[in-house]
Amino acid sequence: MTHLNREEIQRYADGELDDAAALEQHLRDCAACANAVVAEMQLRHAVRDAARMMPADAVRARVRRRLFGSPHTWAWIAAAAAAAFIVGGILASALTSSRELADLHATILASANPVDVISTDRHTVKPWFEGKLPFSFTVPELAGTPFRIIGGRVAYAHGQPVAYVMIGKGGHKLSLFVAQTALPARGMRGFESVTWRANGLTYALVGDVPRSDLEQLRARF
Amino acid sequence: MSMSFEDLAMPLFPSLYGYARWLTGEPNEAEDLVQETYLKALRGFDSFRDGTNFRAWMFRILRNTFLTSRSGLRVMEPLDDDAAEDIAWEGTPDTHFLNRANGEALRRAIEALPLPFREVLLLSDVENMRYKEISEALGIPVGTVTSRLMRARRRVRAALEGMR
Repeated sequence: MTHLNREEIQRYADGELDDAAALEQHLRDCAACANAVVAEMQLRHAVRDAARMMPADAVRARVRRRLFGSPHTWAWIAAAAAAAFIVGGILASALTSSRELADLHATILASANPVDVISTDRHTVKPWFEGKLPFSFTVPELAGTPFRIIGGRVAYAHGQPVAYVMIGKGGHKLSLFVAQTALPARGMRGFESVTWRANGLTYALVGDVPRSDLEQLRARF
Repeated sequence: MSMSFEDLAMPLFPSLYGYARWLTGEPNEAEDLVQETYLKALRGFDSFRDGTNFRAWMFRILRNTFLTSRSGLRVMEPLDDDAAEDIAWEGTPDTHFLNRANGEALRRAIEALPLPFREVLLLSDVENMRYKEISEALGIPVGTVTSRLMRARRRVRAALEGMR
């Protein structure tokens, strides 16, 4: 296959190509094209991080109050269409977010400074997240396993802040994402992934290792 | 199922507000715009068709409300989607320049984009919408979404590289 053109690079990085098999074969062999795809994904994530504007809680509360006043006054209006909405909404959010983790994993690994806190010690990594995230979670003890903690950072996925922990196994780097709501992990662009929920949080492991490795790591939690 | 419109639509609040901030450039106006959007969505809820995308529908209402507002009429300039001059691809992208570009520079570059480029970029990269969903939200063909996104990213890249 010949080199990717501009539009293919863009649509592949955006997860818009339905049949990317031939293209992926080329990406494995061509550093220039792979580089261009990574650059496109990096720009995408940089824009996301820079342009996200979260409303203050007070703004949301104010608008909600003005619009809806006391709760449930007109809940009946929407009741008829609610079921269709919910199914559509869940499906839409699952589809749009399924690429996010794979994108994030690839982008973070490709970045020059992938983690903000560098430590192999879970007792350093865990407190680092405190105050940076609206939840806390436990990083498991990995001593005596083939895995090691590399570091962590805060990332954004599915419209929310998530904890990102980079975990090494041999020469491979795995990504652990922890979030308060679901992190669907389908369409992972060839990466393996394992997700589960515990203590009200969603955990997602992503990496280019056999699934059994991810299951083994998951068992440590 | 007895979820109200409020329960269904309020989770979109941060997204709609962020988008409104980028359209209006001003917090108070953004707040008013989002509130107006919710009111219109509520009134038009009967016309929302099952099987279409609720999020795209909400964004479309927000955008149309903005465009018919005073500041919206001021900023929406005509755009030639067939213009080829800045679609041409040149050279290999530098995968490292973004690590050096700070968020403030990137925000300025996004702010400087003409609205038709800015909105496609925000819906794609910040809201993580598929091209199809963007096309529904903006009422433009998917092909136009693709080319505007290409031009938007190209301009942002050029702005950042120009600063080095």
